[in-house]
Amino acid sequence: MSSGADKPDKTRLHRSTGLGIDPVIVILALAGIVDGLAGNPVHAFLLVGVALLLGSGIDVHLRSASIGEKAGEQRPIMALTFAIVYAGVIGGFDRYSWPATFAVVVPGVVGLLVAFQRTQSPGPEPAPIGRVGAIAWAAVFVSLGLWELANLLLQPDLVTGSYAHPTLSTLLDPVLAVHSGRSALLLAWLGLGWYLARR
Amino acid sequence: MSSHAVAIVIYALIACAGIVLELIGRRIEVPSLGEVLTRIMHTRSGRIGVMAGWMWLGLHYFAR
Repeated sequence: MSSGADKPDKTRLHRSTGLGIDPVIVILALAGIVDGLAGNPVHAFLLVGVALLLGSGIDVHLRSASIGEKAGEQRPIMALTFAIVYAGVIGGFDRYSWPATFAVVVPGVVGLLVAFQRTQSPGPEPAPIGRVGAIAWAAVFVSLGLWELANLLLQPDLVTGSYAHPTLSTLLDPVLAVHSGRSALLLAWLGLGWYLARR
Repeated sequence: MSSHAVAIVIYALIACAGIVLELIGRRIEVPSLGEVLTRIMHTRSGRIGVMAGWMWLGLHYFAR
């Protein structure tokens, strides 16, 4: 790690809250606090930790993350095979077990390190998102968030799922109860991370 | 219609809205979700925020 506070970051989000704080930091910190209050200390530690790192301006450099990313780009078949085997093996562990936790934390941390160490996104400057586009996609995701929140609050309590008012987690419980379902969703999660890391 | 069915229908409607935007959005000047993500992740904080969200998703469904 090295401090990058003295170096101007041209890719830093320029819009900020009224307090001069990057809105991404605020969102991550609030999400972490809420998750901590809901009884998920590991999740809260992750979200608040990333918010603090982002706010501190510290750059994270790890050579192995870069090497892993390049190896995956050069050998996509090998990366895909590894991901399928990884998901197949890890899916055999129960949800919320320590092996499953470790197996998710490792690729997650690698993905985060890749995001931290990349100072500039590849490719040309993407076109700005127009007002209509921003409103349309925000409407979809805000609707999903509000409906999820409504169902969460209609449960008997925050940690007890409800058949009448299912959250997405409750709906996915039957899928994640079996090995094949866990492996399929883990593979999808790894694929999403791979897709995002290449943005 | 039961509360369960209503919940499922609303989730499905929201998913359909996203799929429709993805498929025909460009005709009404709406970028694809991939383009939106690319734009968001062009900034350092946006990139880190999205990747933190992705990691949180994995932790939420699999980890303690």
